[in-house]
Order: sequence, then C-alpha cells, then structure tokens
Amino acid sequence: MKRFGRGIATIMFGFGYGEGFPDYSVASIEFAEDNKILVRTAAADVGQGVLTVVVQIAAEVLKVSPEVIRIIPGDTHLTKNAGSSSATRQTFFTGNAVKNAAQALLSNIYHYASIEFRSNYAELSVKGGYVFRVDQPNNKISFWELAQKVKEKGEILRAEASFFPRTNKPNPETGRGEKVYVAYTFVTQIAEVEVDTITGNVQVLKIYTAADIGKAINPQNVEGQIEGGAMQGIGMALMEEQVLKDGVTLNANLTDYLIPTAMDMPQFETCLIEKEDSDGPFGAKGIGEPGTIATAPAIANAIFDAIGIRFYDLPITPDKILKALKEQKDKKL
Amino acid sequence: MKNQEGQYFSPQQIPEALEILSKYGKEIKIIAGGSDLLVQYHDRLYEIAGWLDLKNLTELKKIELNSSEVSIGAMITHSQLEKSPQIKNYFPILSRAAAEIGSPQIRNRGTIGGNIVNASPAGDLLSPLIAYEAKLVLLSSDEKNIIPAEQFFTGPKKTILKPNQLLTQIILPLPPQNCYSSWVKVGKRKALAISTIALAMVVKMSEDNQIIQGAKVCLSSIAPTPLEIKEVREEMIGKTFSQVNFTKLAQLVEDKISPIDDIRGTKEYRKEVARRIMIHCLEEIYSCWRDKCLPIN
Repeated sequence: MKRFGRGIATIMFGFGYGEGFPDYSVASIEFAEDNKILVRTAAADVGQGVLTVVVQIAAEVLKVSPEVIRIIPGDTHLTKNAGSSSATRQTFFTGNAVKNAAQALLSNIYHYASIEFRSNYAELSVKGGYVFRVDQPNNKISFWELAQKVKEKGEILRAEASFFPRTNKPNPETGRGEKVYVAYTFVTQIAEVEVDTITGNVQVLKIYTAADIGKAINPQNVEGQIEGGAMQGIGMALMEEQVLKDGVTLNANLTDYLIPTAMDMPQFETCLIEKEDSDGPFGAKGIGEPGTIATAPAIANAIFDAIGIRFYDLPITPDKILKALKEQKDKKL
Repeated sequence: MKNQEGQYFSPQQIPEALEILSKYGKEIKIIAGGSDLLVQYHDRLYEIAGWLDLKNLTELKKIELNSSEVSIGAMITHSQLEKSPQIKNYFPILSRAAAEIGSPQIRNRGTIGGNIVNASPAGDLLSPLIAYEAKLVLLSSDEKNIIPAEQFFTGPKKTILKPNQLLTQIILPLPPQNCYSSWVKVGKRKALAISTIALAMVVKMSEDNQIIQGAKVCLSSIAPTPLEIKEVREEMIGKTFSQVNFTKLAQLVEDKISPIDDIRGTKEYRKEVARRIMIHCLEEIYSCWRDKCLPIN
C-alpha cells in the first residue's frame, strides 16, 4: 500500500565564511585586440555557473553583449586571488569584484573619452562597445579604438578591483553579533512523498521551493542549483549512509554508498523571491548550499504526515520504516 | 590458435568455441557483455591469461519459439529480453526483471547467459527463470547436457559449469493458457540498485482455470543461491484460490528463509519484506485471475 504525505521546512543560511574570517576576491578587466573584453578571475567554476554570472555582470555594467566578454580563468600566472568555490560565496564575492572592476573600467573609459570629446561624463554615454556624446550619438569611438589611443599615450585602459567585506565574530557568550555573515539566504521547501508500506521505500514525488535569493542573475542557473541541492537533500534524507564495522567503512564505493539517480528525481516547482536586499551584485545572494538544507527535514515531515511516525536520525531507510510500522501496529493491538 | 599469454579468441562458430574451451578452458575467461566480469577485474585485468569472446557467435543471439518451448540464446541482452514480444507475451516477469536491471548501458551490454553464469545471489533474472522452470543447455566438445536451472547454482558466484562447458541456450517451456505471474524487486533506489530482496511467483491453473496445478515461488538475495520455497507447492497445488490462505503462505515464506545482514538490508528487514511481498504477489496474481474470470461469471 502506498501512503501520501506532505511536509514543509524553512531554513536561513548565513553564507561566506563570516565570523570575521579574512576573505576577499580580486578581478580585472582589459581589452583584447580581437574586439573582446577580457575578465580575469580565479573563481573556480565547478559547474555552479559563477563564470556565466560574472560575464553577465561585466556585460551589464559595460552595456555590451555577453558574447563580447571572454574569461581568463584561474591561473597563478594570470589571475589573482578570488578565494574558494565554497561557503556559497562566489557570486557574492567575485560577482562584486567583477562589478567593481567593470565600474572602475567604465570610469576610466569616461575619463579618456572626455579628453577625446572635450566633454564631461554627464554628457557622455556608452552602448554596444562605443562611447559617445549624448547630444551627438553618431560621433562615437569604440572601446578598442579608445584603448589604442590610450596605449599611444603610453598608458593602459584597464581596471582592477576587489571586494573586501567585513564580518564580525559573534559574542562568545550570547552568540549574537552585528553582521556575522555577509548576508542570509532564506529557503522554504515542501516535499510530497509516497511511502510504500510493503517495502518501506519512500518515493519523493514533488518538491516545491521558494527561495529568497535577493536577485537571480541567471534564473535558470539558480533553479539548477536548487534542484541539484534538493537531490543531495533527498540522498541525505533517504539513502546516504557511511556504514562502519570495527572502524572499517563497508560501503566505500558508489555501488554500495547510494546517491539518488535520475530515476529517483521528483518533479520540481521553484519560485524565486527577488528583494534585492543584500550587498551582493545587484542585490544577489548565494544559493549553493541553501538549496540542500531544507529538503531532508521537509521529507521527514512528509513521512510523518504519511504514516504518523517521527524519525530522528537520517537516512530514513526502508528497514527503519518497516520496523517503525511494525512497532506502531503492535502498540495499537 | 596459439597458446600465448594474453591470447584472445573470438570464434564465429560454436564448435570452434568448444574446441578452444577444451584446450584452454581452465586458463581463459569467457566474456559475453562484460558488465560483471570487467567490473570484477577492472583493476587486475593482467590476471586474466586469455579471453574467449562470444561476440561473433550469432547462434547465441536468437530467441526462437516452437510449439512447446522458447529457446533464448545466451548472448541475448537484457534490453532484448525486455523488449522481445515473445518474452513479454509468455514470460512477462522475465521481461520485467530484465527491465529493472542496472541502467540502460548495463542492459545494452549485459546478457542473460552472463547473468546466469555469474551466479550472484542477487542476480535479477535467476528467480524468474527458476519460477518458469527454465532449463540450461551446457555444451562441451564431447557432450550436451540439459539441466534444470535450479540445479545449476551451488553458492555465491559458484555453479556446476565445468571449464570445458559453455552455456548456450536457456529453454523455457511454454506456459499453459491460464498462467499468472508476479515479480517484486526491492532495492534502495529506482535504478542501478543491487536488490535487497526479490520474489518471483508463477501460478499455473487447470484448463478450466479453477484448480491450481503449478506454483513456484523463488526468491533472490536471501540465500547463497536463488531459492525456491518448495513448501508453497503443497499448500497451493490441487486447490482453488479460495482455499489458499495468503497470510499463512506468506508466513511460510518468512519462516523458510534465513537471510544475512549486509549493506543492503538486515536479516530482520529481509524476513519482514519477504512476508509482505509474498502477500502482495499472491494478491496481484489473484486479482489478475479474478479479472480474467469475470467475463465468464
């Protein structure tokens, strides 16, 4: 027999290392000869999409198409520190470093262009890789022509910037503090499950997510992070378990240490809340880890809703469920 | 053919393969799909002195139907087994069991013959084959043996197959018109899961569809080999469905098995699930039987 249940869980997650830990990111932007803009950043894209995000940010600030931007990725000879791809920090830290570098470059573009046009910033604007006088939009210089003119003066049209936020250690006695983390992401998830009372197997049917992520710089990537995170949460809730016997791990391989497959994937419905309330680039907040945290408690609550039994240790495996169902039945008798 | 180290044979004809086995059978490994063998040896392939690859034996890649039986070539893959209209029609739970093996990649490579000779206690096809009373054709250069499938397995990864023998065909007698079957595989996830326990059940009815004439219940992952619970036969054969006590039969199955604790499940869990899936299979078969009877009533 299959029993349906629905459960909910809400989390808040302070991201970045926080608690006063020294942390920053550096990025620089320059012009290449093939009409491209080069962004140098050591931020490691391990599939989460930070490089997509920084391309979008640089393109947005410089008012060019994203195709014009090229990334020079992490290389100790070519890039400076961007910190780790961990702690849900890269969009916030490197996104801001790239945004700051793009703004610094834009100010340099206006500076040198004001000499060329014998005009000032408020009368100048940029679009599609050109700088021009607002009252004479046809009188324009491309960024690369401008870079060449700057080079002829013996200078370089480029910019480098960093993002260096401060966080504070919480009071050791009260645990309280001002700005202990750079910002907080809030996530609520609802899990719908079906518990098979013959085998004890749990199938997750659907996961609804509402995530307050400040601003979704790339909404598809944000949803991907949430869905991937939820799959890890499903593994944590139902399968993943290191089995030890006499100090030896019995399942030190992926045949025996099970994680969900594509066949175990539920349906997803995701709602993004964009309040733009953080110091992140365009108000964005991190979503890497927050996507995984609410899933297991939401599933545990859904199992409770389905069969009326609370589980307090994960994973909630079929043998635990059958044992508990048997005890529940014995109690009633 | 030279006897060199690392020798690789891929004969076109069965007699040629049998000749190779009679000469080098003790040293070389027979490879079909490789989905078990290559995993087992992936970090020590150098230990294998020679290979007999069955890939060119087209004789072993056929499913043939005659008036009394179906013959399945040992090189038929799980995917072919799953999709074969004959298998789906006559042996539906064999088709279902094949469909639940591993992943699409494994089903495209792995073969029925390989699944049998690998003799895993969790081999997904083994319980349905025994429940359908399969016979195995074992060929060597001097003789042909046809044995019931349940006699083939002697322990985990152990069989009676001799080094000079090749499993060539699996023969399944065509079931009577009124035959019902049910299959449950319990694993910890929906794909790529080695079963925690599996149960195959085949019930054959009399011509008038009223009296049970054959009943086979076979489980895997609960003993060193796939195991038929023979006591079920006495409880069912010669009776009508209304004379069969499902709860009692399920308890019988639970009592007759003594599984072990392992990474995929505890002994306690396996016994409990065995009882529950036995009831589930009986109910499924009963409801199919009842639906078939309805138009007559």
